Amino acid sequence: MYRSIILSILLCSNAIAHEMTPTYPKWEVSYIEGIKITTMKMVNKREDVEWYEIGVFDEEWKPIPFVTKHKIFNIKYLGHAKFDVYISARDSKRAEYICSLSKLKGNNMNKPMMSSRICSRFK
Amino acid sequence: MKKILTTLGLVVILAGCSLFSSKAEAVTNINGAVESRCTVETDTPGTYGNPNAYTLTTLPASSGQEPIVRFDVSLANAYFAQISYPTSFSSSPSLSDSVTWTGAVTVVQTSTSDMSGYQAASTTPTASMRQYALTIAGTTWFKSTSVATYGGGQNKAFPGGSYSAVVVAECIAQ
Repeated sequence: MYRSIILSILLCSNAIAHEMTPTYPKWEVSYIEGIKITTMKMVNKREDVEWYEIGVFDEEWKPIPFVTKHKIFNIKYLGHAKFDVYISARDSKRAEYICSLSKLKGNNMNKPMMSSRICSRFK
Repeated sequence: MKKILTTLGLVVILAGCSLFSSKAEAVTNINGAVESRCTVETDTPGTYGNPNAYTLTTLPASSGQEPIVRFDVSLANAYFAQISYPTSFSSSPSLSDSVTWTGAVTVVQTSTSDMSGYQAASTTPTASMRQYALTIAGTTWFKSTSVATYGGGQNKAFPGGSYSAVVVAECIAQ
């Protein structure tokens, strides 16, 4: 009598991992006056995810404006990415975290989901 | 005779030096470093069982499957792990009534016995999320259990269809 309602929570059982380094990045002086830069590396071992979103936050997790080539970017399964993040020198003083968040496909009923986020910290 | 022995000794010494210097040239340095790293991985996918018309649960006793998330850290005291249980559906049929969520996040397994205190030392940044200070390098497996009940406390039947929810697993540098 019960309806065949099955809710999947996590994606397939293959190895699906998300990784971002360095753990403690540093802002460096860029070639543009008043702008600082940091470089991050990502590895996508999640077969179910190809898109990741970058965010920069202060100590209270409020978003801070920044510039990068693509705020949401594509990394193929088992692919690596290296990306530069630019921020104003003033904002760099209050930037505490830089995070990458997996973007899940909407309306994909057959695939359970896990949202992963890795945050590095400016010290 | 003495002169011959002296000469022979000198030859042996020179040969040894030559051998030694050729070995020194063959030495190659191998450099490396342990980089601080956190990896978040799905160990076991989750599934909701439907033990009665108004309940969806990951509990195995109700034919559900609790999702297990694995965290790997290469250095101690570098990251917090944060794991949630769902408090809403990310996709579902149209629901005219409210859903009540309950759940828990627990440590399933650790790679070393030193991590046995993780569960007790965890905190709750929000009601549906637990935070663990990963104070020891290694691997920890966390389980996210959730139960959804439909009908605003009146146990109404869930509409038929597919439901989807999301577990959030975060690794945040300390």
